Amino acid sequence: METNNSNNMHSNGHGSNEGEIEEMDFSHSDFIEEDLATGLSSKDVKFDTIIGHIEDIVMEEPFQTIQNGFLEKYYKEFEDTEENKFCYTDIHKEYISLIESYLETELKKRLPEFCMLEFSQQLQSRKKELEGEIFEILLTFSDFMAFKEMLLDYKAEKEGNAIDLSGGLTVTPVQDKLNLDGASPFCITGKSLQGP
Amino acid sequence: MGLLTILKKMKQKEKEVRILMLGLDNAGKTTILKKFNGEDIDTISPTLGFNIKTLEHRGFKLNIWDVGGQKSLRSYWRNYFESTDALIWVVDSADRMRLGDCKKELHTLLVEERLAGATLLVFANKQDLPGSLSAPEIREALDLNSIKTHHWLIQDCSAVTGENLLNGMDWVVNDIASRIFTMD
Repeated sequence: METNNSNNMHSNGHGSNEGEIEEMDFSHSDFIEEDLATGLSSKDVKFDTIIGHIEDIVMEEPFQTIQNGFLEKYYKEFEDTEENKFCYTDIHKEYISLIESYLETELKKRLPEFCMLEFSQQLQSRKKELEGEIFEILLTFSDFMAFKEMLLDYKAEKEGNAIDLSGGLTVTPVQDKLNLDGASPFCITGKSLQGP
Repeated sequence: MGLLTILKKMKQKEKEVRILMLGLDNAGKTTILKKFNGEDIDTISPTLGFNIKTLEHRGFKLNIWDVGGQKSLRSYWRNYFESTDALIWVVDSADRMRLGDCKKELHTLLVEERLAGATLLVFANKQDLPGSLSAPEIREALDLNSIKTHHWLIQDCSAVTGENLLNGMDWVVNDIASRIFTMD
């Protein structure tokens, strides 16, 4: 019986720095049975750990900061037209490599032994089992239309074109309006009724 | 290749194909795209960048990329070669003066490594115009018979009337399907 796989039990935690691995009591074999029950090999656990870290990374604030910095830098280039400018493609490529290198750097910080090449190979061998929100999120990063939409949304927000419903139910006294504007807010002016 | 690109390639949904539509300026690429999509084609102006449309056709999801064809824009074409399943080369069959140019540009594309596996459909467009050359004449002018590196077909069509556009697309989908989706 294998007794040399205590790592299996410990590599499951996300992000926490566990430090020294505790001495295990190998005399009773509960943990082996557990492994058999879940059908997880040490490779599975390692893979799941990496995915768990990726999930954490993209939800954390530094990631959002980087993303916002990128949007801020480029949103002015984007226009809400059907036709796309060639520069969008370059900007999208820059975005993809920014995200990729950030993920890699962060993963190496959290898992010093992390190797992107190895992880990429694992991904490819698990092709059929990649399900879940994190994969959808990662796929969105490389989807051009989703990227364009994200920039246009950001731009609309920046330029105040987004529909603001927050003031929708505010009651403004008519009297104040009258004093400020010198005209009743209920007056329909001729301008808007005139045809071309 | 980076992580996100790898993931994208792997998770490319089944029955999803990428089609790149190229050709000289004024060949009718954008008109074909809009006609496919059932959009108004009366107000199309020359494409200075690129358009993307996703269409459903016979259970396939077609991502069609239409890139501007003016001479000064052709150097950008290369940015759109990656992962292309089919190349649709659109020809203005009434533009006899530029058939030489048209042939040269097409054959330049066919030696591109990133387009090596792509199916090639040539649309002999503008058949509704008087004086347009027939598909066999265009085949001759573009020396299509010399192409041994790609599966190819030439289809006469009219983007304005919509004639034969679907025939061409059917062939493209069948050809891609027989290459890719039987391999799993």
